[in-house]
Amino acid sequence: MAGAGRDERAWVRGAQRGSAPDLEALFHAHWPAAHRAAYLVVHDAALAEDVAQEAFLAAVRHLDRFDRRRPFGPWLHRIVVNRAIDAARARGVRHESELTEQAAAAEQREPVDRSVLRSLAGLPPEQRAVIVLRHLLGYTPGEIAHLLDLPRGTVNSRLRRGLDAMRGAL
Amino acid sequence: MKDALQSIEVPGAEAARERAATIVLAAFETREPIPRGRRGRVLAVGGALAAAALAIAAASPPGMAVVDRVREVVGIERSAPALFALPAAGRLLVASDGGAWVVQADGTKRLLAGYRDASWSPFGRFLVATRRNELATLEPDGTLHWTLARPGVRLARWGGTQADTRIAYVDHTGIRVVAGDGTGDRLLAPAETGPLAWRPGARHLLAYVSASEVRVQDADAGRVLWRASRGPNEPVRALEWSDDGRRLLVLASHVLRVYDGKGHTVLRDVPNGTGRFTDAAFVPGTQRVVALRNGSDVFRLDTGRTVFRGSGLAGVTPSPDGAWLLVTWPRADQWVFVGPHGTLRAVAGVTEQFRSRSGFPRVEGWCCVRP
Repeated sequence: MAGAGRDERAWVRGAQRGSAPDLEALFHAHWPAAHRAAYLVVHDAALAEDVAQEAFLAAVRHLDRFDRRRPFGPWLHRIVVNRAIDAARARGVRHESELTEQAAAAEQREPVDRSVLRSLAGLPPEQRAVIVLRHLLGYTPGEIAHLLDLPRGTVNSRLRRGLDAMRGAL
Repeated sequence: MKDALQSIEVPGAEAARERAATIVLAAFETREPIPRGRRGRVLAVGGALAAAALAIAAASPPGMAVVDRVREVVGIERSAPALFALPAAGRLLVASDGGAWVVQADGTKRLLAGYRDASWSPFGRFLVATRRNELATLEPDGTLHWTLARPGVRLARWGGTQADTRIAYVDHTGIRVVAGDGTGDRLLAPAETGPLAWRPGARHLLAYVSASEVRVQDADAGRVLWRASRGPNEPVRALEWSDDGRRLLVLASHVLRVYDGKGHTVLRDVPNGTGRFTDAAFVPGTQRVVALRNGSDVFRLDTGRTVFRGSGLAGVTPSPDGAWLLVTWPRADQWVFVGPHGTLRAVAGVTEQFRSRSGFPRVEGWCCVRP
């Protein structure tokens, strides 16, 4: 996981003490995964930027309350993915039309890119979220259940149904 | 699967990272760390605020009734041929290409010729208006108080209390601030172009939108009090504080946000489908928002219920008492006042009444909440 380990704890400790370079290090270590995760759930670049940015701002606001013995990534990813699910739900039908355009653009670049995006797009946001947490960010089903405050069985079923649907689409 | 997910290119990823880094670091540098001993208390206060917000959201809103009907024809058939009177107390400020107009409750109109845009002083006793390279303060009867020559001046907004006011405006140098008596003109935010809105109250706090964020800045001290993500980079169509100064509305085509007094997003709404927001405003005296979507649906955000529908609507302006809503309808050349229990009062021939040769007259404000 990005930024895990001793460096990360030092950055968190430094940021809590007001060190901007440490906060900047945390940001650069975690932004790419957070932004990509948001994008894969909401399927809209502007909205994903918005979601990831708000998650970081929320993290900054609550930094003083963060228990620095814990890894920063799961804390941030929990905020990102929950906000991304809310945003995708609120977006309703709109994301489908934008996704079509983005998928069309992706089609010209990279076949794998296109097919995975398309198959992921066909899933409900909740299934996209668990697949992104499991297969992009590397969390176990138990950890995902904790992050999303869901029963583990629900996580497993969402993963299974989502992957089955993706395989069908691929 | 991991490789496949990582191979997907996020459009504009690098630019997004740079924008976010700037905003997050700026937020970090302006935050106020919480002393360890106070954390429990802060959390408890946060819970109380959340409960209060929920109570506000759940409260049954008075005022505009629901008119959930589709209008097949453009315009209201039974409309008055002229604006004989406003349906509620207060005065309207309207901008047309003929100039700025002050409309009294009895329908009397006065043209302040040559001014492009105008806005009320906080209590509606004066107005500030702009024309090419000149900012002017006037009384509603047109009496000129003072002028200030500035290149490309626009977006003048007047804020403060009865005793101490400030005017913010935009010119070629950025956002500038001058005292209500015309003294102490200075540059507040270099290169910024707005939009901008004064927070109601004694402190001179100005909200404005930059390329990547929303900021609230103390105009006297110069200090930025908070900044927040403004969402997708698209033009902001409306920026407005609630009367109590506790909520800030920022409206862009694809996202409507309401921030609390500390810059936290308390409400965020995106239109469904390929929809876009056209306009939005707080209902005076409340923290409730009325919005116009797709130029066709006027609805209340707290309930989602439609209060008016038409094709080609342009804007919404609530009356000072919150009971009426002025909906501007360029396609029908009408204004429609939507009132309690679905009452409709339409006025036809708006363009001609405001002597506009090109473009539909723009409602700049319906003043005032406080006498």
